[in-house]
Amino acid sequence: MSAVAQGQPLAVSGGREGGALARWAPLLAGVCTLVLLAATIELVLDGAVGHSALIPKSPSIAGWLGGLGERLGFRVFLIALISYTAAYAGLLALARTLSARWAIALVSALSLIVFAGPILISTDVFSYIAYARMGVVHGVNPYLHGPQAIVSDPVYHYVGKDWKLVATAYGPLYTLISYPLGLLGLVGAVWGMKLMALLAAAGTLVLIWRCAPVRGLDRRFALLAVGANPLWVIYALAGAHNDLVMIFLTVLAVALMLVGGGVLRRRGPVAALGDAEAGTPGHEVGVTGAVATTVRDEAFAGAAIVAATLVKATGFVPLPFLLISRRRLAPLLGAAALAVVVALVAYVVFGVHGVNIVAALDRDAAFVSTDSFPTEIAHLFGKPGVFPVDHDLLKILLVAIVLHLLWRTWRGYDWVAASGWTFLAIAVTSTWLLAWYTLWSLPLAAISRDRRLLGATLFVQVLFIAHQTAPLWAPVS
Amino acid sequence: MSEAPRQAASPRDGDTTGWRWLGGWVRLHARPRASERKGLGSLRLAETTLLILFGLLLAIATANDVRQQTHVNHRLNADLATWRAVTGHNYHSIAIEQDVKEHTTRDTVCGNVSPGGPKQRTQLCLRMTGPVHADRRKVRGGYYLPPRSEDEARLRYGCFGSAVQAGLCVR
Repeated sequence: MSAVAQGQPLAVSGGREGGALARWAPLLAGVCTLVLLAATIELVLDGAVGHSALIPKSPSIAGWLGGLGERLGFRVFLIALISYTAAYAGLLALARTLSARWAIALVSALSLIVFAGPILISTDVFSYIAYARMGVVHGVNPYLHGPQAIVSDPVYHYVGKDWKLVATAYGPLYTLISYPLGLLGLVGAVWGMKLMALLAAAGTLVLIWRCAPVRGLDRRFALLAVGANPLWVIYALAGAHNDLVMIFLTVLAVALMLVGGGVLRRRGPVAALGDAEAGTPGHEVGVTGAVATTVRDEAFAGAAIVAATLVKATGFVPLPFLLISRRRLAPLLGAAALAVVVALVAYVVFGVHGVNIVAALDRDAAFVSTDSFPTEIAHLFGKPGVFPVDHDLLKILLVAIVLHLLWRTWRGYDWVAASGWTFLAIAVTSTWLLAWYTLWSLPLAAISRDRRLLGATLFVQVLFIAHQTAPLWAPVS
Repeated sequence: MSEAPRQAASPRDGDTTGWRWLGGWVRLHARPRASERKGLGSLRLAETTLLILFGLLLAIATANDVRQQTHVNHRLNADLATWRAVTGHNYHSIAIEQDVKEHTTRDTVCGNVSPGGPKQRTQLCLRMTGPVHADRRKVRGGYYLPPRSEDEARLRYGCFGSAVQAGLCVR
């Protein structure tokens, strides 16, 4: 088995430069690791103090950390974010010199630190809880009413003011999954949501770890690219965003197609790949590097994509690319079977509004945020913002990109990369861009053979972070 | 469903399983491919060029937005300093509202006229316009708001300067 598949540090070969890198790599990697951990701890401890515009009003879940930090201001937040991002870039450059244990330990530590801390940046998690409690505690349909319908509920005061009148935009599967958490009380539900996000993130990283060697990629690099990503840790995981659940299901579908059902077993596909390379029985390894899959794997992959769609509508993206790439019936049947089952359940529980996930997508597509790239481009051309005609132009651009990618996939282009490009195109052309939207393409980019996708995804993320930095250059006081 | 593993496709042949019943030409074009056909180098080059150009546009737009926001923050700082200089109160809980309707540089800055929590006392709102000179802006007018109230037209009183001309006070 190769050193990459084994996850052992690679020997740095070459002349004097290579030797110098090998000597300095552990020290540099150590510094980068310390910066990542220090920045994360700083944000969590300062965030636990509360009373900050960056920390949503929240029930006390991290009060025991509150005495250790100071109120989180924009300046400290941005310095921590920029330091984290620089250290992340350094660590990615050094990823191939790290041991597998180092990479796993770092990603685990970052995840657990933000898990123990307060909710950062966003109030979305309180909307999730409000929708769950509307249905399970108050008997109100979250697809017909916003949290305004449960003013007396304790969670109402924590819902973002822009969302109090807005009915849920999430899929019926997610709403059903979140219902039991609504019964745990407010604090219990917050921890439940945090745990769900942590498990989804961990599951995604395990799948990436197992898929990367099958694609001929370094799994330490892939793991760090996703698991130590600043937007992944500080925005998505620390905010307990349900995008992580959608991403997990999407990556599960990809893993099922790339490495088969073995990806879910303890003795996973990496071991199977090793067996196959050694000539022992196991999954067969194709010329493409993919372990052969069964019809059942393909059906489950189709079902996993539909499950992702029923969490958040954008989860649908990989399905057409998978179908066009494989041109087999099993993924379609798997997708259709789950769609029918969940649609029936959703219709019974929520009525017709719970089934119509396109309506929520249409509604959200009309929103405008100051961080979106279309808004920035409008400002560049002297316009105050985007207009309805711009929405239409952006939709046309997105359709053109998707058609091009479908055509390329038909001709044999990697469907995983095509899905990732589409996720990225949606984020970039959307007038409503939030940090966690730029994460949709990241896990697929990490296991894609088209390395341009990873470069483009990280570039977009760097621009997003750069756009946050104005208060650093001119603080308002 | 079958549990038997399918043979993985080779890049040359593609996976022909289930497609043998098709005619030769259709089979050639409709079968799934494990990798792209050769000769797409120019397409990849065109895609990469477009990506780089689009990336440049996004980078310029982002830098421009940060520059603009930095200018706005300088203006807001001047607004705050002006309010403190005019009222003689060095308060920190001062609210600024920008003109998001007409996208002018006219800002309205409101703060308490006596010590107290945010919006807990009678508030003086000053309308400021024009460029920043020596970290200050010109006050063109203003109005008052009663304690514990938001800036709503029905609550404003005592308009002066440009606020009178704009008809901001209804009482």
